[in-house]
Amino acid sequence: MQRRDLVKLIAAAVLAAGAAAPALAQGKDKVVLMLNWYTYSEHAPFYYGKDKGFYDAEGIDLEIQEGRGSAVTVQAVAAGSATFGYVDVPTMIKAAAKGAPVKAVGVALQTSAMSVMGFSEKNIKTPKDIVGKTVAMTPGDSMSQIWPLFLKKTGLQESQFKTVSGDAQTKLNAVINGQADLLLGYVMDQNIKLQDATKKPVTPIRFADYGVNMISSGVIANKDTLSGKADMVKRFMRATTKALEEAEKNPEAAVDATLKAQPKSGQRDTMLVGLKLTTDLYHTDDTKTLRPLRVSMKNVNESLDLLVQYGGMDPATRGKPEDWVTLDYLP
Amino acid sequence: MNTKRLLTSPGLRPFWLVVMLVVLWDLLIRAFKIPPYLIPNPLSVAKQLVAEWPMLWRETLPTLYATLGGFALSAVVGVPIAMWIAYSRVVESFVYPLLVFSQSIPKVAIAPLFVVWFGFGLVPKVIAAFLLGFFPVVVATVQGFKSVEGDVIDLARSMGANPLAIFLKFRLPHALPAIFSGLKVSVTLAVVGAVVGEFVGSNSGLGYVLQKANGTFDLPLMFAALVILSMIGVLLFLVLELIERWLMPWHASQRHDVAATA
Repeated sequence: MQRRDLVKLIAAAVLAAGAAAPALAQGKDKVVLMLNWYTYSEHAPFYYGKDKGFYDAEGIDLEIQEGRGSAVTVQAVAAGSATFGYVDVPTMIKAAAKGAPVKAVGVALQTSAMSVMGFSEKNIKTPKDIVGKTVAMTPGDSMSQIWPLFLKKTGLQESQFKTVSGDAQTKLNAVINGQADLLLGYVMDQNIKLQDATKKPVTPIRFADYGVNMISSGVIANKDTLSGKADMVKRFMRATTKALEEAEKNPEAAVDATLKAQPKSGQRDTMLVGLKLTTDLYHTDDTKTLRPLRVSMKNVNESLDLLVQYGGMDPATRGKPEDWVTLDYLP
Repeated sequence: MNTKRLLTSPGLRPFWLVVMLVVLWDLLIRAFKIPPYLIPNPLSVAKQLVAEWPMLWRETLPTLYATLGGFALSAVVGVPIAMWIAYSRVVESFVYPLLVFSQSIPKVAIAPLFVVWFGFGLVPKVIAAFLLGFFPVVVATVQGFKSVEGDVIDLARSMGANPLAIFLKFRLPHALPAIFSGLKVSVTLAVVGAVVGEFVGSNSGLGYVLQKANGTFDLPLMFAALVILSMIGVLLFLVLELIERWLMPWHASQRHDVAATA
């Protein structure tokens, strides 16, 4: 008899929990944000915002999914398997130009994080030092596409150095094992990964310092979501803006929140460096006084020029900045 | 009459199936309005195949070399090991489980290390192709050599045949069909292995083309590369089948209309 009571009690509890869960989630929008890559420092603001309840406060039940490259994430958002994507915006523009129904609703990294980097011990500090060296890159990615412009701006010739190609991991392995002297990578990503793996300092040569600037990571959404759920998008972007601002102010807490959610995503001290390198890119001179994600359309326009010249974008599909990026959903 | 024969000619049957599948592909895209950034339509793939042919052909060669290298290594290493396993219970109990164990390691996971160990040249791709193609050869060859009936060997021995004659006249001919089915599976897997190797680290090859096309959302080019890869697999398979037919015209699997299996 007692046992049966216990069973009843459990059954009742399960039922109650089952009934309570939807009630709890009711009025909250389930939102999936797919990142561009496995979690690293750059993504800390999202984990921080979720941890601090910024999204909850806006009635959003946020699930963060790791990605396998911007291109895949863009396709997932276009196909509706993810609500939002955090991706390289130029990559999104290229997909959208081919018909993917996606649009950027805010650009986080407004200065290019692209750089060519190697261990400091190799003494490669300026583009001239690249002569005679070996550079590792990934065919087809955004950095290898813009690389020719960097060469042009710095007066380097393709024949003056050697190139090896491989996927993201091979690029890192090649530099770590000395098969290549340099790799094309982001200042807050590969830079940190190389240091984590070897404890050796890394010297990045930033593309932006040589007049090669392109907008980078931002938040994208499906056009159907934008028209059908405008209010939800506004709430999501309000929470995201706050998350970026707060993570910039409290980098330690943001990194801790990230490591709490994704314990394997990195080492605390280097992630902190990575996050600071990330937040440095949140503003340009034009957007210094604005809240994060409010990119200047002039900046987007210049990136479009580069996409047409170097990114393989069909000039006929170039369009205006407003065709690809909208700031209407930002607070 | 002539057109009817053309339509039902055995050699052309797979071709008609391909045509039907391509039409179905096109119809499905139209019916479900599948956007080109998810799946390209067959016409755009064909156009890209023609437009980019010189580049595609140039990049096909490295992939073909890696495939052939990996496949040759699979055969040269796989068949002797399998014979060794088939002849000795001791070797079998030691080596076979280890082979199965090694086969279960995902090659994609260790492929990056091949680049670290062997650099960016042809070697890591050949090894990736070998690792994928090797196992079916071993399994099929072991099976083939073990399927020889003991009575047959006993009879041969009683008639005074020496071990070499027994091997050449009985064991090997008996095992050949199984060896060839292993080789045929192996050669198609070697193509996959070569591309896996190229994906991870390569300055050339169809794997490199795939990676590049993916980055620029050039799906027609990507599919064009996939078509060529499949064609490599089909052609190598056919070559093996021709060799098989030439080596053992007596075998049951060959006793039918010649073109039927083409």
